[in-house]
Amino acid sequence: MQVAVTFNGKKITKIQVVEYPTESGRDREINSYAIPTLNQEAMSAQSANIDGISGATYTTEGYQQSLQSAIDKANA
Amino acid sequence: MGTVFSIAADLGDGIEAAVARLHAIDATYSTYRPDSVISRMARGERVDYDAEVAEVLERCAEIEADTEGAFSARPDGRLDPSGWVKGWAIEEVSRLLSAAGSRNHLVVGGGDVQARGGSEAGRSWTVGITDPRHPGRYAAFVSGRDFAVATSGTAERADHIIDPATGRPAAGFASVTLIGERIAYTDAYATAVFAMGPERGLAWVEKRDGYEAYAVLPDGRTVETAGFARHLTG
Repeated sequence: MQVAVTFNGKKITKIQVVEYPTESGRDREINSYAIPTLNQEAMSAQSANIDGISGATYTTEGYQQSLQSAIDKANA
Repeated sequence: MGTVFSIAADLGDGIEAAVARLHAIDATYSTYRPDSVISRMARGERVDYDAEVAEVLERCAEIEADTEGAFSARPDGRLDPSGWVKGWAIEEVSRLLSAAGSRNHLVVGGGDVQARGGSEAGRSWTVGITDPRHPGRYAAFVSGRDFAVATSGTAERADHIIDPATGRPAAGFASVTLIGERIAYTDAYATAVFAMGPERGLAWVEKRDGYEAYAVLPDGRTVETAGFARHLTG
């Protein structure tokens, strides 16, 4: 299992995602500026005020396309 | 496979310790690492494990008893306490952020959420619950302060919850979401309630103080416990 962390806080503007790769054993930064492909429906006015998402057990690979990823970027 | 943890916090000071903690938890409890304590125990090796591992196994046994076996640390016959460890890891991140001085943060790990305090300017934290029938859309929104949200379902990984009673994928919910105060118990209970199915599962949650449930059924109907509505927004 890999562990990746995204931090967004008011004082830190850059999103940093670290991944824990099983093979190299080192943290690395995932490209945090990839634009997620989201359908417009999901990005409704209401979802602009969402802080987190429950129910999407995406993998590190799926994260970049996830709604949570979009929220992290919007809040950074 | 990997799990992504997203952290929104008023203070970044605890992040480094939290990441180190996640790595340590992964090294000890991962069922994907053949050298982890749990993998070695699962193979029947004699392992000198510490008090923390003992505590994790104890919590799993407690929840297994509380849920009449719907939760199990041996979901497919082999030792796998992930059903507790995932939520507990999120709670550990939250604890370390608080220890470093954070009063307001939201930690999301693999779709499970722990909220502490509120978001900026006194606003509550708002969490979207994924619509299991239309991934990419939301089924509901909940908000508040100091709460946890866990969803068990088939939205992203089909049939990933095994009913320990039958050894087969659980059926009866498209997804079920539990709200509680702390994510470790909330997440483990969500897994158990999913395995119980709608009728037994929601009745079980109704009887537990501090927990509410919201479920989407395979045909799109939704059911919820009596107190769930007060968490709803939008």
